[in-house]
Amino acid sequence: MTPESAYYDAWRLTALTPLPRWALALLALAALAAVLLAWRGLRAEPRPGRRAALLALRTGTAILAVLLLVEPALELLRTARVRNRFAVLIDTSRSMRFPVEAGGSTREAAAASLLADHRRELSALADRVDVELYGFAGDVAPISPEAAEHGLPATGGKTDVLGALEALAAGAGGAAGSGRRLAGALVLSDGADNAALAQGVSPAAQARLRALGFPVNAVAIGRDAPRDLAVERVAADDFAFVRNKVTVEATLRARGFEGQEVQVVLRREGSVVASTSLKLERGRDTYLVPLTFSPDETGTFVFTVSTPVLPGEAFAENNSRSFVLRVIRDRVRVLLVAGRPSWDVRFLRGLLKQDPNVDLVSFFILRTNGDNPGPQDQLSLIPFPVAEIFGEQLHTFDAVFFVNFAYGPYRGLEIDRFLPNIRDYVRSGGALAMVGGEQSFGDGGYGDTPLAEVLPVQAVDGQPEAEVESRARLTTEGRQNPITALRPGEGASDALWAALPPVTAVNLTRPLGPGQGASVLLEAPAVQAEGRPAPLVAIRQVAQGRTLAVTTDASWRWGFLAAESGEGDRAYARFWNSALRWLVKDPALAPLQVEPDSPTVEPGVAVGLTVTAHGPDFGPATGRKVQAELVAEDGRSVAHGEAVVGQDGTARLELTPPGPGAYKVVSRAEGAADEATAAVAVRGSGPEDADAAPRPALLRAVAEATGGAFAAIPGGGMPRLTVNDPEVVEVGRRRAVPIWDRWWTLAGLACLLAAEWVLRRRWGYW
Amino acid sequence: MPPPAGAATRRAFLRGVLAAAAAAALPRRGRALPAASTLEIGHVQHGGDWNPRPTALRRLSWELGRRTSIEPAAAAVPVRLGQPGLHRYPMLYLAGAGPLPPFSEAERAALRRFLQYGGFLLVDAADGSDGTGFDAGVRRELGQVLPAAPLAPVPREHVLYKSFYLLDRQGGRLLVKPWLEAQTLDGRAAVLYSQNDLGGAWARSELGEWEYPCTPGGEAQRETAFRVGVNVAMYALCTDYKDDAVHLPFIMRRRT
Repeated sequence: MTPESAYYDAWRLTALTPLPRWALALLALAALAAVLLAWRGLRAEPRPGRRAALLALRTGTAILAVLLLVEPALELLRTARVRNRFAVLIDTSRSMRFPVEAGGSTREAAAASLLADHRRELSALADRVDVELYGFAGDVAPISPEAAEHGLPATGGKTDVLGALEALAAGAGGAAGSGRRLAGALVLSDGADNAALAQGVSPAAQARLRALGFPVNAVAIGRDAPRDLAVERVAADDFAFVRNKVTVEATLRARGFEGQEVQVVLRREGSVVASTSLKLERGRDTYLVPLTFSPDETGTFVFTVSTPVLPGEAFAENNSRSFVLRVIRDRVRVLLVAGRPSWDVRFLRGLLKQDPNVDLVSFFILRTNGDNPGPQDQLSLIPFPVAEIFGEQLHTFDAVFFVNFAYGPYRGLEIDRFLPNIRDYVRSGGALAMVGGEQSFGDGGYGDTPLAEVLPVQAVDGQPEAEVESRARLTTEGRQNPITALRPGEGASDALWAALPPVTAVNLTRPLGPGQGASVLLEAPAVQAEGRPAPLVAIRQVAQGRTLAVTTDASWRWGFLAAESGEGDRAYARFWNSALRWLVKDPALAPLQVEPDSPTVEPGVAVGLTVTAHGPDFGPATGRKVQAELVAEDGRSVAHGEAVVGQDGTARLELTPPGPGAYKVVSRAEGAADEATAAVAVRGSGPEDADAAPRPALLRAVAEATGGAFAAIPGGGMPRLTVNDPEVVEVGRRRAVPIWDRWWTLAGLACLLAAEWVLRRRWGYW
Repeated sequence: MPPPAGAATRRAFLRGVLAAAAAAALPRRGRALPAASTLEIGHVQHGGDWNPRPTALRRLSWELGRRTSIEPAAAAVPVRLGQPGLHRYPMLYLAGAGPLPPFSEAERAALRRFLQYGGFLLVDAADGSDGTGFDAGVRRELGQVLPAAPLAPVPREHVLYKSFYLLDRQGGRLLVKPWLEAQTLDGRAAVLYSQNDLGGAWARSELGEWEYPCTPGGEAQRETAFRVGVNVAMYALCTDYKDDAVHLPFIMRRRT
């Protein structure tokens, strides 16, 4: 072999002919036809020897002729074997922090020691492939051999075996050998997959595993599921309706327990709202626990489902799970009590009744003690259930309307006994509207009752209603308040109120002094009380509640009487609708609001907050300082921040919760008593912590689907790793050596033709 | 046929003086109420005999004050449909005997707007007509005022029959129809129509005598007419209040 030929290490046959394929095919057919013609001409030959000799000569000639035309050549090649990659994937999810078996080392330590113990086998692979080490959980990252052998921090919140393999096959992970194919992989994991293989190796997953194109060897780490009780999942809607039953469904996973009775508790920011007990059974892992409660107030709250930490539990942090629930009203529940039928209550009730968002309960006093309607059994009248509506049921109402209603004149009812209760209802977050008439305010004798402590005006006992026609006039506060600022634009609301029909009677009251949270929004300039216009509409924030005073029983004239002209009754409807919304604290009318970007965040992630602040005129409170704090369940303030309200009326803050749990967000604006609240939950445990049972069967199925080897520890070691053979590729130049271009080929053809010609002549064929 | 309203005779003057004295002696509440809290009925003046029973509404008002917590105004206020101020009186009373001249288009539009914004109209045929006279004219006009809400009998279970008294029959000077009819807007009876001359049963002279006998039921029929009047006023002021769920158990118990 020449030095040059020694350069080449492979060869293959090739054709050098310039003839096209169809021409070669025609020639081949012609050669075949020549052989067939010879065979046909020799059918009568009685001597088989002659026949065979002539046929062989013709066949040889035809083959040689075709060979000469095809111009065969020997192609010499220089080739090389590709050095592919072999990936070792080490599970770094949090479930690797659990022990391999009861009392044993952690799974992450077991993986590290396996790599350290079998460093030689992996080194041996280096002759054929490049061994690359990766850590994986939800994603894949390359790691150094030293780090792998010392143990990787198991912090990943997810285990996605198939995703990691596919990412590596696609060249992810920052691999140095990216672009080269994987010849195989070794997965060191507990198999607690909670992604694509969470439900096992499905046919679809099997197809994806096969599509990888390399064997996946697997070592399953971990034998026993740890003794653990976990709140794995809580199914709850994003919102619920106040005073309506809500059921949240908690999924509990319990392993290694039997016969224990556990109490599953649902808390709203520390207060127990529902609980149930559960007996753990042998052989049963999963329990669905419904927890039902009725939220009694609106707002955004953090709820937590928790179980006790049982003795011997591997992981205590997964025994509770928090979620945020926004409690909203389905309908505003209003109690309307009228001292007598009148046009004022008739139109007000009609307005409330036609509002689909209002659940109205009304009571009219239809007869008094002095009336004589005839036999009681012929009347449709019902007893006035004072104790029920002003006692037991009062807290179920969002707002109470007293329309020309006096507490005094009803013998035996003793409504005055319940006035303290109504006052306390207001202070604790309820709403009271007192509407005027000859039985209201001072005329109703409310000046010295507990209700006087919460009313927005001071009722003057003993002074009858002023029977004077008076138009309503906006005060400075009234121009800025959405209850009475009925039209946008400077002076538009003033003009609107001035154009509305006058009221015909006004209860005489005095405005409250400053600092009591009260504002007069409308006044009656034609009615003077102690030398100043009498309040017509006033509001007050009292502790947690709100009150409204409308000191006339002729507000219906702003609607029905105004409707005689072209204006219709829109002003009346808007006034009362806005008043009701304000009374029941419609969030859209709150001057300060805070909203987290997301109700739930991951540990260590800051909570983004948007604080919206309005001024007293309900315009943006630009330039005002607002602050927000995170308050833990035990009432501690754990994070605090300040910001300045921008042109759009909002301010942005970011607060970082110290750890998993539920936090109340409390925001305040500088110089304002209002505070806004929201809630945020920081995830404490994910699926990694909730279900950490090793799944060797899953890893075995992965290995089998891809043709890899499998072993499990404890009990096993490193399996005999399966690696794809390296690919051979042509890497250098090539050279073609013609075969046909030899003297003996032509000589052979000539000899064959001559021999056939001679024999044919001799044997008498020509 | 009663004498024309307002005829200036010595007898009428004497009646007026006696009525004033009687009114002063009636047991009323301690102090006069502001107009805003009172039920002041607008009495519709039209081109026909618009006030065939001049004392009827006054007596009904007195009965309302005696029997219920409604504070009625002492007398109805004459109103014209086409003139401003109609909406000052959310309850109108339209009565008549004999032909009813057609309303003008402006009057119809005003009445339509009045009813659509929540007003209430009680129509009372004093002439006992059925298909003729006042009845024919009223049906014609009401049909044009609310063409989409034709008059229909008020069903037995309607809240009108339990708004104060539990009623199962009709009252009036006559019993032309044993039911009331209504035009309904948005579920509310905006117009109620009686052909039984309710005003004739309510009418009482200044001397304390009933002006007309009630036939065929006599005084029981008159009492029912007052009860119908009370219920109608209650319905005008409270609409469907007695349909609220809280009342149903009590009412059902008394019905049985």
